[in-house]
Amino acid sequence: MATRRSRKPAAGKADLEFVSEAEDILERMREGLADLSDQRAADAEVSPDLINRLFRSAHSLKALAGMFGLDSIQGLAHHLEGILDGLRLGRVALDSPALNLIVEAVQTFASLLESVGDQDALAAFAGPIEDLASRIETMIHAPVVSEDVLESLDIDSSLLRALTEYEEHRLRESLVRGRHIMMVDSTFEIMSFEEGLSGLSEAVREVGEVISTLPAPGDAPESQIRFSLLAATELSVDELVERIDSPEVGVRWVRQAPATAPTTSPAISPALPIDTEGETSQSSPVTGESLRSISETVRVDIHKLDQLMNLVGELVIQRVAIGDIASQLASRTETAQLGKDLAKIHKSLERKLAGMQSAVLEVRMVPMRQVFDKVSRVVRALRRDLQKDVRLEVSGAETELDKLIVEELIDPLMHIVRNAIDHAIEPIEERLAALKEPEGCIRIEAYQRGNHVVIAAGDDGRGIDRDSLRERAESLGIVSPGDSLSDKEVLDLVFAPGLSTRSEVSETSGRGVGMDVVRANVTALGGAVDIESIPGQGTTVSMTLPITLAIIQSLIVGVGSHRFAIPMNSVLETMLIDLNEIQYSEGRELLDLRGEALPLRRLDVEFGISSCEPDAKLFAVVVGLGELRVGLLVDRLYSQQDTVIKPIQGPVTSVRGIAGATELGDQDPVLVIDVSSVIEDVLHRRDSA
Amino acid sequence: MSEVGPSPEVPPDWESLARAASLVDAEDAAVQDERQLLSFELDGSPYAIPVERVREIVRMRPVTPIPRVSPDVRGVVSLRGEIIEVIDLRRRLGLEASEPTRRSRIIVTRSEEGEVAAFLVDAVREVVTLSEEAIRPAAGSESGSVEALCTLGDRFVSLLNLDRVLAIDV
Repeated sequence: MATRRSRKPAAGKADLEFVSEAEDILERMREGLADLSDQRAADAEVSPDLINRLFRSAHSLKALAGMFGLDSIQGLAHHLEGILDGLRLGRVALDSPALNLIVEAVQTFASLLESVGDQDALAAFAGPIEDLASRIETMIHAPVVSEDVLESLDIDSSLLRALTEYEEHRLRESLVRGRHIMMVDSTFEIMSFEEGLSGLSEAVREVGEVISTLPAPGDAPESQIRFSLLAATELSVDELVERIDSPEVGVRWVRQAPATAPTTSPAISPALPIDTEGETSQSSPVTGESLRSISETVRVDIHKLDQLMNLVGELVIQRVAIGDIASQLASRTETAQLGKDLAKIHKSLERKLAGMQSAVLEVRMVPMRQVFDKVSRVVRALRRDLQKDVRLEVSGAETELDKLIVEELIDPLMHIVRNAIDHAIEPIEERLAALKEPEGCIRIEAYQRGNHVVIAAGDDGRGIDRDSLRERAESLGIVSPGDSLSDKEVLDLVFAPGLSTRSEVSETSGRGVGMDVVRANVTALGGAVDIESIPGQGTTVSMTLPITLAIIQSLIVGVGSHRFAIPMNSVLETMLIDLNEIQYSEGRELLDLRGEALPLRRLDVEFGISSCEPDAKLFAVVVGLGELRVGLLVDRLYSQQDTVIKPIQGPVTSVRGIAGATELGDQDPVLVIDVSSVIEDVLHRRDSA
Repeated sequence: MSEVGPSPEVPPDWESLARAASLVDAEDAAVQDERQLLSFELDGSPYAIPVERVREIVRMRPVTPIPRVSPDVRGVVSLRGEIIEVIDLRRRLGLEASEPTRRSRIIVTRSEEGEVAAFLVDAVREVVTLSEEAIRPAAGSESGSVEALCTLGDRFVSLLNLDRVLAIDV
């Protein structure tokens, strides 16, 4: 990312995410080390799987730290991975000094995690890390002092060369452990050899280890294939033959171990208790490690949060019903006192529920940083692929949005950024000729405005060529040559389906999926997209999105016998108007709103509902999105209520103008108006369906 | 509902039917070459759908009409927090329209992909188990929505293909 500020000690959400994942990994490593210590204390052979698991954990930690840009942690993880790889391959002796180094590294990680988010504290670790790293490197590169036991083996040298380093290490280890080494030869039918081979390997594994599976040299009938398993076991050849009990299988000695009791490897010193609990950590360069988890975060499936959200939503609805009962009781003399008492309880319930709602909402909120990080990766990739010099600047990474909205936002934003790099930013020569700096700039800003978050993505490219845009729209029949369009209306053509401003197709932006999809996605989230473009200077696409989809305040209105909910975040004001205040232009209704012409829409006409109210009075609900304003005419205003907008399930997927439905305590659901599509219809002079 | 048996108000015990329907393992039925169907009434005639598609059966409840949709979509109902669109199956199949009565039920169905669709029917009858021989392909169904005619006693039951019912363009 282009802007990375030094962080305050209070760790951000991304940091917490890292810490909680890293802690999981460290916990697994501690378990592994404890097992390792147990196995050594019992003088048992250390299981190769255990070392492999530790190695993979260190590798994951390195990758994770790299993803979050935590260089110091990544660096240390790299060294840890190195020493574990050495152990795995037998390059490093599995002895106490090595294990103590690993334990020390794990403890250092634990201390580092406590400091994530605090740059100064992290910087203070530089010395200890470097010291630890250099000790690890010394150990990795120290030659293992033991004469090569492999040389004494009666084994075909070409076969020996076929072994991988890991297999070679296992062979050495088995020799040291005093096991017999033998070769198990078998011939299989080509058609079914996989089955036969895995059966044989299984049988050998029951009594020992299969070090390697090698295709065997020698002539075999055409339809057959021969394999040799290099095996280590404590059984003798005869015992193994008896166990496998198959005429097709031959077993021969490779090396018979001396009859003495198995001795401990010279490379493995007697087990010392390894300190995995950090008791001696006072002497280590890092501060004492607490076993308590630091981040205290829990990762939760978003669907569980949805469930929680639904429950809270239903509680809110029932709360409203209780409020109704309280006021009914209070209005009757005989139950007035009861009603008042209930109203009091209702009031406190309301406050607590509001607290609960915001707590649940808070959990769902994630910073825009997550999106910006993804965008920045895409920009890097595109810069490389398109050979364009572009930098990305972002601001407002800490702006928070509902997790679900963030998820839905990524595709539209990526599309806008791809478009900008692919089409808007000019080639270098063109930029220099236009007296622009050679490096193009894409700027993404996120900021909160009321109940919405605005995400504006701008470039300093060539801007949108109105003439060619219009030309294309005409050739596609979207507008007629005679239509007079304002500049804004021309720019809006960008969102028309099937319209791309450049005729050639590029791999990055493709064709067909365009800004129309961006608009559709954003509108589906209850947001709006705007575009501004100055020829020669650049284009900015702004998306205005609600902060959360979860619980919103709605205004309940009545039209005829129907009720509708209008989300309060788009209601600017409501007013009682007289029918004769309505003015007309081209047959369309307008209202003089403090000198501005406010286009009106009658909800009854819009939705084909008989209003049949002879009153000369109507209510106008002024709704707005971005800079746009429309007045919706309704018969009645009921109340403001907390509502949970839910999708309508069923075969008719979407109805234009309806965002979903909500429940209001009584049984029948109320449809929620999709303000953005209603406004859009008015502005595009689209008549109701 | 612990008592299973005819109650005067609701002739078939639709709640136990619904429970039975939801418990049926579709695979079992297939293995035995038998199909279990939920039968219901529309305009005096018996119809049926495979039980494995039935999610639940509920009584009629307040319906909020949706503007701008075809008249066979009655509107939406709320079912334990879910908002579900209800299709009037009489109108969808081109039968004579009528208003819901006390016996009317909403059958909520679910496709294999989990898509929900709800149908208003005149009454729910029973879950029947039929052998494959009793199910004969229907000839010349007008909308293609009747997949087969099943003999049940001395009556023909029309087995509906829900996917085709949903695809009917009204």
